[in-house]
Amino acid sequence: MTALVRYTVSGLVRSQRYLPPALLFVTAVVVLTTNDFGPLVGSYAGCALAQFVCLVWLTITVVNTEDPIQRSMTAVAAGSSQRVLLASVVTALGACACLTVVGTVYPIWGGRHTVTGAAVAVGVGAQLVAGLAGIAVGLVCSRLVVPRPGYALVVALGLIGVLIVIPPVPPIGPVMRLLSSERAPEAMVGPLLVQFAIAAAMLVIATVVTQSVARRRE
Amino acid sequence: MSALRLRGVSKRYPGGAEVLTAVDLEVHPGDVIGVMGDNGSGKTTLLKILVGLSLPTAGTVSGRPPIVAYVPERFPSHHRMSALSYLRHMGRIRGLSTRTADALARELLDRLALAGGETTALRRLSKGNAQKVALAQALLVRPHLLVLDEPWSGLDASAHGVLGELIDEVAQAGGAVVFTDHRESVVAANASTGVRIDQGRVAPERLRSSTVHSGAAEVELVPGSDGPPAAVDWSALPGILEVRGRPGVVAVRVTDEHCDRVLFTAIRQGWSVASVRRTSWKPADAWDGGR
Repeated sequence: MTALVRYTVSGLVRSQRYLPPALLFVTAVVVLTTNDFGPLVGSYAGCALAQFVCLVWLTITVVNTEDPIQRSMTAVAAGSSQRVLLASVVTALGACACLTVVGTVYPIWGGRHTVTGAAVAVGVGAQLVAGLAGIAVGLVCSRLVVPRPGYALVVALGLIGVLIVIPPVPPIGPVMRLLSSERAPEAMVGPLLVQFAIAAAMLVIATVVTQSVARRRE
Repeated sequence: MSALRLRGVSKRYPGGAEVLTAVDLEVHPGDVIGVMGDNGSGKTTLLKILVGLSLPTAGTVSGRPPIVAYVPERFPSHHRMSALSYLRHMGRIRGLSTRTADALARELLDRLALAGGETTALRRLSKGNAQKVALAQALLVRPHLLVLDEPWSGLDASAHGVLGELIDEVAQAGGAVVFTDHRESVVAANASTGVRIDQGRVAPERLRSSTVHSGAAEVELVPGSDGPPAAVDWSALPGILEVRGRPGVVAVRVTDEHCDRVLFTAIRQGWSVASVRRTSWKPADAWDGGR
């Protein structure tokens, strides 16, 4: 699995296609949090939202970098197409971790906040929830499920819209409301864990659905 | 190693017509099976089912060996990684160390004479060169099952011979090889068994001899210039009718059909061909023979 992830990361890095979503994230974080004087968790709400959108894009990029025929050769070499998909998910999770570091550290440096351990933990948690949800959406919008790029874009924008605009739909809406509330960061940890579990379940379901759709199409 | 068995395998793509209908096929270790058929007859689908990329809609596939290698008809890549770097990754995915993968990749690319070198990015390779890289990735670890889709298309003439050798080596090491080609002559020259796909149904095909003339050739072999040759059990090779020897010379009589194979084996093992006696025999290109 390590070799497969290394190969996936190497293909992504050399393609440079990770740059547009990564730069979008950095730009969003800088614009949203520089010189912010409000509560730190409020700054992190913006980072989580950016993380969600950028990870949808990044995940699609990770899966689509390899040509379908080349992907089938990789699948035969790796022993199954499932492993290749898992390597893509692990790569996207790695990207999520990198963006989370930026999205956690920059707001502390760029704004003026009272920094507490609980607030930072909430920031990390919120971005991970958004990241997992983003990877889940990205997978079902990848070429494996939606082969035509135009439709994939429409489906991706539709799903992003539903998850952001309709507040009761977990996990993005509830996390945004939680981080913008007046609650103490310590009191946010519990509800955040619930949303984390939902996002993780979304990712598992999206992986299974993507694999079974791709398998049926072959 | 047991045989790979397809029993009553049918395949229908979602929303499409049936591509394969009730296919029965057995692939034994050491087999070289050539699959013939017109464009769109279902050859590629059959290969995809053999390697496990595609699931049959009906029927069963059993006994797929652990190490499978697949060379598709085209190898399109947008990757900017070099051919060597790609092969290094593929080797590591198959469990090789970086050093071993590198060494094997270089050796294979050398044999296949990858023009433009190993540092060329995959996306910049021509069709033929990309095909060589695809072939190399399949052979980094000797496969139990090697599946090749139209492997001769796009390869230059010098690589044709190497491909035949590589197929031979896999089969002689106990691996099974299945390849497709629409030309009967190619299948006859390289396969031990032929099957034909027609409208989704697979039927065995009797192969014509790879050379036009029937009969035998008398081959005289002497040690090559690169030192003493390897000992070869000539009588164990297919098509051998007689083996005679006197000090420093081996003379074998072999059927036309297997003559090229015996020559290949001899040269690979360090022997030099001193003479081939047959008035009507000509060293026809194996992939063109019988046309």
